[in-house]
Amino acid sequence: MQSNKRARKELLIGYCFIIPAVVYMLLFIGYPIIYNWIISFQDVTAKTLGSSVRDIIGFNNYRAIFTNVTFRRALLNTFIYTVGCLVIQFSLGFLFAMFFTKKFKLSKPIRGFIIISWMLPVTVTALIFRFMFAEGNGIVNAILLNLGLISEPVGWLLQGGTAMLVLIIANSWVGIPFNMLLLTTGLNHIPEDIYEAASIDGATGIQKFFKITIPLLKPTIMSVLVLGFVLTFKVFDLVYVMTGGGPVDATEVLSTYSYKLSFQLFRFGEGAAVANVLFVCLFLVALVYLKTISKDEVI
Amino acid sequence: MRKRLALLMALAMMVGAMGACGGSGDSQTDKTTGTNAETKTEAGNKGSSGDKQEITFWHYMSEDKEGKFVNQAVEEFNNSQDEIYVTAQYLPREELMKQYTIGVVSGELPDCGMVDNPDHNSYASMGVFEDITDLYDAWDEASFLEGSINSCYYEGKLYGIPWGNNCLGLFYNKTMLDEAGIEVPTTWSELEAACEVLTTDSTKGLAISAIGNEEGTFQYMPWLLSSGGSVMDLTSDGSKESMTYLSGLIEKGYISKESVNWTQADAEKQFASGLAAMMINGPWQFSGLAEDAPDLEYGVAKVPKADDGTYASVLGGENIAICAGANIEASWKFLTWMTSEEKSQEICKSIGRFSPRADVDSQEMFSDDPLNSVFAEIMPDAQSRGPSPDWPEISAAIYTAQQEVFTGQKDVDTAMANAQAKIDEINAE
Repeated sequence: MQSNKRARKELLIGYCFIIPAVVYMLLFIGYPIIYNWIISFQDVTAKTLGSSVRDIIGFNNYRAIFTNVTFRRALLNTFIYTVGCLVIQFSLGFLFAMFFTKKFKLSKPIRGFIIISWMLPVTVTALIFRFMFAEGNGIVNAILLNLGLISEPVGWLLQGGTAMLVLIIANSWVGIPFNMLLLTTGLNHIPEDIYEAASIDGATGIQKFFKITIPLLKPTIMSVLVLGFVLTFKVFDLVYVMTGGGPVDATEVLSTYSYKLSFQLFRFGEGAAVANVLFVCLFLVALVYLKTISKDEVI
Repeated sequence: MRKRLALLMALAMMVGAMGACGGSGDSQTDKTTGTNAETKTEAGNKGSSGDKQEITFWHYMSEDKEGKFVNQAVEEFNNSQDEIYVTAQYLPREELMKQYTIGVVSGELPDCGMVDNPDHNSYASMGVFEDITDLYDAWDEASFLEGSINSCYYEGKLYGIPWGNNCLGLFYNKTMLDEAGIEVPTTWSELEAACEVLTTDSTKGLAISAIGNEEGTFQYMPWLLSSGGSVMDLTSDGSKESMTYLSGLIEKGYISKESVNWTQADAEKQFASGLAAMMINGPWQFSGLAEDAPDLEYGVAKVPKADDGTYASVLGGENIAICAGANIEASWKFLTWMTSEEKSQEICKSIGRFSPRADVDSQEMFSDDPLNSVFAEIMPDAQSRGPSPDWPEISAAIYTAQQEVFTGQKDVDTAMANAQAKIDEINAE
């Protein structure tokens, strides 16, 4: 009886602690999400935004965006961008992580320097890359011209294909340190003696990598990939500042297109629908992430 | 986006809760000491009387440039009487526009604010602004140029007052033109010939902004109108001629291909740093040019006309309006003070705009000023965009076509036909 009471009291105190967080989540995260779903099923344009009565039009907004060429382009672009970034930043980040876990002089300071690019505000990064890849007086063209690799300046941000490439490079520059940091932590958690034992058994470097490093690092790798996917998939500022989705719609991604629909063309319903497509994609990935995390905990 | 929206909502709410954005809710009701203390610190002094009404005014004149003069004007108003205290709040243009739309839903709007005139109809249709038709009709100083005041009307009701006008002209680098021995071009052929001479490895003949937003459309309008084209008929010969001409200049390298990513401010930087011998821009760049390149010798002329066409320019500018649910009375006093004959002249002159008032003779006012006088001459014929609540979509069709052509993705015929189809669809809705 006594202990039961105490348990109840403790439970109550526990709830008191989480209530602020729960209220905060419901208000500031839950409310906008639900609100966004509601308006994606309504006819919300400039004329109806202010009125309390809006026509419910079912899936018309979704139908409209899926028949829209720009949306399909944006959806495809978002995946190209995400996959491109993930491949580059994960593979290079992994290499760097392997490199910097080797104990040599200056390894820590240099690792620190590399992280700077991750700490810079994305807007700054975007502007720097915009200047570097400018056609007329950008440093990239100047270097390539002087090396004789190209015969005339390339309009990097003026053609769809290269503009996307530059975006991927810019984001990878930010993403590599992030991947490196997480993977280094994972690598440091693999006990040295396992490698020693393997060496004694005559394992080669490659064997050690594939039979020890990768399997033991798997939980970290999964988390890094999923986190990287989420962070990259919802890109906004980088694209918005560097290309604004252009030229025309060559680098339009879901987030920038949703923004354009809502705040420039005032088609709020369709903008919300696009945002929800983005949400669903991320939600699915988040489920995978949660699953990997729970597996981690079992281990 | 999702997170952004959440963030924005959160911000909007927090700002509202803290009362940091001042006025709208508080102004009418409270005369509490708390707010007064705040006023005093904000004002930094001014033995303020206990019962001033506070209102907020949103604008997008950047604080290091024209914004200084806006703040000056606001301060002057605050000192000129002791009933109303105005707090001016600067937000970048895009941000300001976004805040209006968010404000419609959240109710967090300022008392009054600035709006770009082609967008005024859209925001009026959204319900951002108060209908001030009656106040305006009763105002004995109500005298504005037709094109300007028309942009404030939506469905027969007035939602704002014109605040400052501008238009586009051709800026040219005097030194470069003199060295090359070229006269200031007046027609498209002359402009092309001039560009041919002026374009070198390091310098482009002309800088324009063809960016994928309203600025791109704004800059395209003079060309479109000069060759007899029209927003309502983009597939006409005149319309296509203008697009063909401009894309020709880009293909020949006279205009940088990067113009598709340039804002008008970027074009100004190119011109100021000598990377372009000429540019298309407006009078609001004078202050920027004076700072970026104090020694630059430049002149201004009309945007060259099509060889068999007429001079044309486009009307740009800002209106000011009272927001829904605001302190209308106080805001109206402030707005009419700013747009009165005397103040309108003063303020517009300082920020590189032209007074939209019919009783201000800008041509006479600037008769001694070689730069402003050119714009004063262009102003009366400058054509407005819209007014239409659908203008943002029409504009999107136009700047998209421009970008498609300039980046070589589509030929002129296809791009213009597509744009026209979009506009037809918008009009049909």
